Amino acid sequence: MCGIAGFTVPFGLPAEERRVRFGSRLRRMAASLRHRGPDAQRGLLLDGVALGHARLAIVDLVGGAQPMRDPDTGVTIVFNGEIFNYLELRERLGSHRVFRTKSDTEVILACYLDRGIDCVLDFIGQFAFAIHDPRSGVLWLARDRVGILPLHYTRTAEGLAFASEAKALFAGGWRTPALDSRGVKQTLQLWSPVVPRTVFEGVSQLAPGSVARWSDGRLETWRYWDPDFGVEPRAEVDAARAEEELGALLVDAVRLRLRADVPVAAYLSGGLDSSLLCSIAQSQLGGTLNTFSVGFADPGFDERAFQDEVARRLATRHRSILVSSRDIGELLPAVVRQAEQVLLRSAPAPLLRLSHLVRACDTKVVLTGEGSDEIFLGYDLYRETRIRQFWARQPGSRFRPALLRRLYPYLPMSQQGHELLEQFFGIGLDDPKNPGFSHLPRWAASGRIVRFFSRGFAETAAEEDPVASVLASLPARVRGWKPLARAQYLEMQTLLAGYLLGSQGDRMLMGNSVEGRFPFLDHRLIEFAAALPERFKLRGLSEKWILKRLARRSVPTTVLQRQKYPYRAPAAGFLTGVDAPGWVRELLSREATRKVGVFDEEKVARLVAKLSARATAPSEADSQALMAIATTQLLADQLLPPAPVPQRDVDAVELEAA
Amino acid sequence: MNPRARIRQFIVETFFVDDFADDQSFLRSSIIDSLGMVELVAYLEKDFGIKIADAELIPDNLDSLARASAFVERKRRLGTSAA
Repeated sequence: MCGIAGFTVPFGLPAEERRVRFGSRLRRMAASLRHRGPDAQRGLLLDGVALGHARLAIVDLVGGAQPMRDPDTGVTIVFNGEIFNYLELRERLGSHRVFRTKSDTEVILACYLDRGIDCVLDFIGQFAFAIHDPRSGVLWLARDRVGILPLHYTRTAEGLAFASEAKALFAGGWRTPALDSRGVKQTLQLWSPVVPRTVFEGVSQLAPGSVARWSDGRLETWRYWDPDFGVEPRAEVDAARAEEELGALLVDAVRLRLRADVPVAAYLSGGLDSSLLCSIAQSQLGGTLNTFSVGFADPGFDERAFQDEVARRLATRHRSILVSSRDIGELLPAVVRQAEQVLLRSAPAPLLRLSHLVRACDTKVVLTGEGSDEIFLGYDLYRETRIRQFWARQPGSRFRPALLRRLYPYLPMSQQGHELLEQFFGIGLDDPKNPGFSHLPRWAASGRIVRFFSRGFAETAAEEDPVASVLASLPARVRGWKPLARAQYLEMQTLLAGYLLGSQGDRMLMGNSVEGRFPFLDHRLIEFAAALPERFKLRGLSEKWILKRLARRSVPTTVLQRQKYPYRAPAAGFLTGVDAPGWVRELLSREATRKVGVFDEEKVARLVAKLSARATAPSEADSQALMAIATTQLLADQLLPPAPVPQRDVDAVELEAA
Repeated sequence: MNPRARIRQFIVETFFVDDFADDQSFLRSSIIDSLGMVELVAYLEKDFGIKIADAELIPDNLDSLARASAFVERKRRLGTSAA
């Protein structure tokens, strides 16, 4: 994987003037993405556009240099990611094209020359790229179907600038970093901003599954792919056949993702998804798989027993790190700098440490299990939605809501009277057709963060209602889908694309120059799962039914039978106790809070005092509030003025003009 | 201060909420989450010297300021008459 950056420049400028006016901006942008691509940083100044690239060499280590230009047409690409089926595409195009390299980058170029931007439809992969076509003067941007790789852009006096990460737009001097109050409010309630918005003023992100066309000063974007969970379920398929097809698809998804000119390892969480992936990968690699895991010093979060069991059973070469609460506090500034996001959970921090271990073991690529819970209905949210729908059909029932207690045995609230639990989960029960039905209890809880806003910030963001914004962003067809299908769509747009793949995924991997690959997010698998009858995914209250059935043969029974256990890391208590890192005192002080201006200094001080005084773990609400406050303060401290714009490693960027 | 005012002050200080109506549902309107209910119960027991049984942990007794203060007063009356 890599980092990309670039911007439009006026057509017809003499080469020397281009270099003087824009060369240094381009170098600064490419240099700021060095963590994404430490192997080479290059910039290319063309008539009409400047393109920059930071390369993490994985496929065709010698020939795959970028920016890459087609000598006949001058069409030029910068590309971050992988096209996993590039060998098949290359073969298909081979008869009428001579390839100069063995890279997938050149295959994108060839496919684009063959059929235009619709070439994205042929790609099985994870990607963000920009193509400059001098024949039409168009600059194309494209992003993979589910948003595995990031792509940001901003309008400039000269047109448009784009980059993998917002920090490159700041480094290029295209924007002075400032918080976007709507984006911040959305992220704090929904876990991610509503695309194209980000937490930065004037910085947009290209939506997953979208392409953008920049031409004559106009930007047009559209979705070329969007998950269709409303598709008519296949009636003919029985369980045995579904299991067989799923097995074949998953094996193929892993096979394509083991393609690399460097070794591919895997993350092993100790749950069903990663265990299954590791088992498939291990058999394809003939027993040479390396696996990596996070262990927690706090036994309440630790899954090492399961990880070790799977690693033993599969005979992988297994390594793990042990993360303490103190570590998380110390990692958080780097986490926020990489994520460029406000966060409600600390879970990304251990993954930044883990990618560091991977890199230290000379490994650049890992398989990881994200996406399975979204497509096979693994989350508690789906079971909760099913129960709440069942309950909504007879709101007076005493029996129906009592099922909720079975969902959350690991949370202390299940020990309470269930009538109180019902009050909470009964939010929105009177309107089961509401497109946000599944998420309303969660959003009601996370929406409480607004009470910590300063008066000034609350006023600035007063017109923003995040729930209304995200529901307004839903395509009309989604409203007609079944409740679980709507829940899946919302989950993929908000939590998956905005948080799990971004803040907790790509950013934590690339922070240490490691590429993640996600077999469950192969779009063929997403489409396959969407077309299965619901009962193959969520049977009664048993989640991921067909996947568990497939895994019987390869995954230890103890892993299959364990209570579904979401990946979580110690909560924000670590920011207040004896383990609190040094930056907390400074950044959560009244003065610092007032300076950033998002949160009310009085309430922040009271929250910190409340959490410091108690011996027991903080409530989820208090913990999330403190994480939100701490990461907002960190974001401001690291990225907003007077923090210096990144300037390092600029001289290492090789600059060419053509 | 009467129980209603004391409980209100506790809610404001503990859950960082500024304005809410006496009869507003704590849970349905997200003033408190279900874990917050544990905090509320612990506070009521300590501050008002009452004991709340599991069977009493129901919305009718706890899920608004009006309900919680009425519940506390009822418990205290019963406690006094029993003593």
